[in-house]
Amino acid sequence: MTDATLEVRDLTVGYGKTQVLRGVSLRLAGDTRIGLFGPNGHGKTTLLKTISGLLKPWHGEILLNGARIDGAAPRAIVDLGIIHVAQGNVLFPELTVLENLRLGAYCRRARRQLKDNLERVYLLFPRLAERRRQHSKTLSGGERQMLSIGVGLMGAPELMMLDEPTLGLAPKLKDELLEAIGEISKGGVPLVLVEQDIEFLLALTDHLYMINHGAVALDIASGDQLDHEEIMQMYFGKE
Amino acid sequence: MAFETAQSVLLSGIVLGSLYALMATGLSLVWTTLGIFNFAHGIFMTIGAFIAWQVGTDLGWGLGPAAGIALGVAALVGVGCLSEFLLVRPFLSRSGIVMLVVITTLSATIFLENSTLLIWGARYKQMPPLIEGKVELLSTAISAHEVLMIAIAPLTLLTLWVFLKFTRIGSAIRAVSQNQESALLMGMNVPLLYSIAFGLSAGLAGFAGILLGSIRFITPGLGNEPLVKALIVAIFGGLGSLGGTIGAAYIIGLVEAISTFFIGLYWTPAILFAGMIVVLLLRPTGLFGKK
Ligand SMILES: Nc1ncnc2c1ncn2[C@@H]1O[C@H](COP(=O)(O)OP(=O)(O)OP(=O)(O)O)[C@@H](O)[C@H]1O
Ligand SMILES: [Mg+2]
Repeated sequence: MTDATLEVRDLTVGYGKTQVLRGVSLRLAGDTRIGLFGPNGHGKTTLLKTISGLLKPWHGEILLNGARIDGAAPRAIVDLGIIHVAQGNVLFPELTVLENLRLGAYCRRARRQLKDNLERVYLLFPRLAERRRQHSKTLSGGERQMLSIGVGLMGAPELMMLDEPTLGLAPKLKDELLEAIGEISKGGVPLVLVEQDIEFLLALTDHLYMINHGAVALDIASGDQLDHEEIMQMYFGKE
Repeated sequence: MAFETAQSVLLSGIVLGSLYALMATGLSLVWTTLGIFNFAHGIFMTIGAFIAWQVGTDLGWGLGPAAGIALGVAALVGVGCLSEFLLVRPFLSRSGIVMLVVITTLSATIFLENSTLLIWGARYKQMPPLIEGKVELLSTAISAHEVLMIAIAPLTLLTLWVFLKFTRIGSAIRAVSQNQESALLMGMNVPLLYSIAFGLSAGLAGFAGILLGSIRFITPGLGNEPLVKALIVAIFGGLGSLGGTIGAAYIIGLVEAISTFFIGLYWTPAILFAGMIVVLLLRPTGLFGKK
């Protein structure tokens, strides 16, 4: 078996003494896209935080292209090209949109492509270009999500993890973001996408994992041809 | 009041304001970036003045004022980085960091004050003015040294502003205080940014101390009273707003000069504190602070 782009093996982690993840394993191969869903508070965000180095794993392994990265500092993970767009991210509220975007390209790897990536972001989200001089705290919820994703793109991601990018957004904005994220993925960036909206996930990803009680409760490959209703049934526990 | 008197009160107010602006900006920079108060800021001023005296004056090594200032400021940047490493970094992830750092920086102040006493003794030291001579201004002659002080503070602060506003590291320093998690996720070296902010702040303190040491006698306690003033200015100006801090510095400098002239030196601190309390009652986030 060839090395997966990203592989998580038997990961356990928690906050203080409270354990949250209880042995999560998952795989992202090639430039595919995986989706994570599951009830609130069961560890999706915690999993992303552990991959991006904000939390140190208690046990288990995280591998990027076959090399261990678990326990590395967030800075090292960013240098490797894993970009984590955090849930409900407020970024730097007192800085302008443009300043936020520029800081997205803080690491050396991304700094070299700053100009190109800025153009790409403005092309993807023209609204950010219009509002580039505005303080990011004055953005609407949808614009802020666009900025979060834009800042992530400025980091020249080789793998992008998006945590609930459509949280609290109206359907029309959701569609807009769906298109943008599809665009990013078509550009060859593998995705780890956390969402509550199953249809959103089905439209964007090839492989779904349901995280329940800190473990993978369901593992659905695209070939399984599950439709929305069946997944919803599993989601709500009618086994 | 005669025109000359008014002018000289105004002038001494602006000189004071310039000094306070330099001191309080450093204090405020550390507050915005790390969310802590550095009580060693006053002793940083003192050390800056002593080093400049040692390096620059004929009673020391006699290398001239330029070398004195350069080495004084550079040494203080180093002292600042070291202080961050020893006094702040060990507590960064603790919840009680604000109080812990009050204690560590106050302890450092006592330690450093006694060290300066051991090294330089208790005898008053004096630095000659940076430039001699008088400048003719609206029919009164004022010392060139004062003109220099008035000009140099805004220039220094302008440079700081350009650094914070337009450079990559400067933006990162402003950013890290607003959202540490985002800073980490963008690959910023957060401890290094803290260290730079602390070093800059100490450098500013050292520079202010050198200027202060050129108009007052240098003693181990040189920075004590200015530290209190800088605290008042920083709180008065709205904690964390650099622009507000600078505005407040000049207002307080002028109020102090006017009150010293009309009411006397003795009552001036009380008037400043009363003013601060009134402002904070009316505007709890300071004169220029945001809601
Ligand atoms: N900083 C923290 N300190 C302590 N406990 C935390 C912390 N962050 C999260 N938790 C707890 O860990 C558990 C998992 O949280 P997590 O944020 O990973 O859930 P989630 O699956 O992302 O939920 P949601 O869908 O609501 O975003 C929750 O019980 C939460 O209360
Ligand atoms: Mg979450």
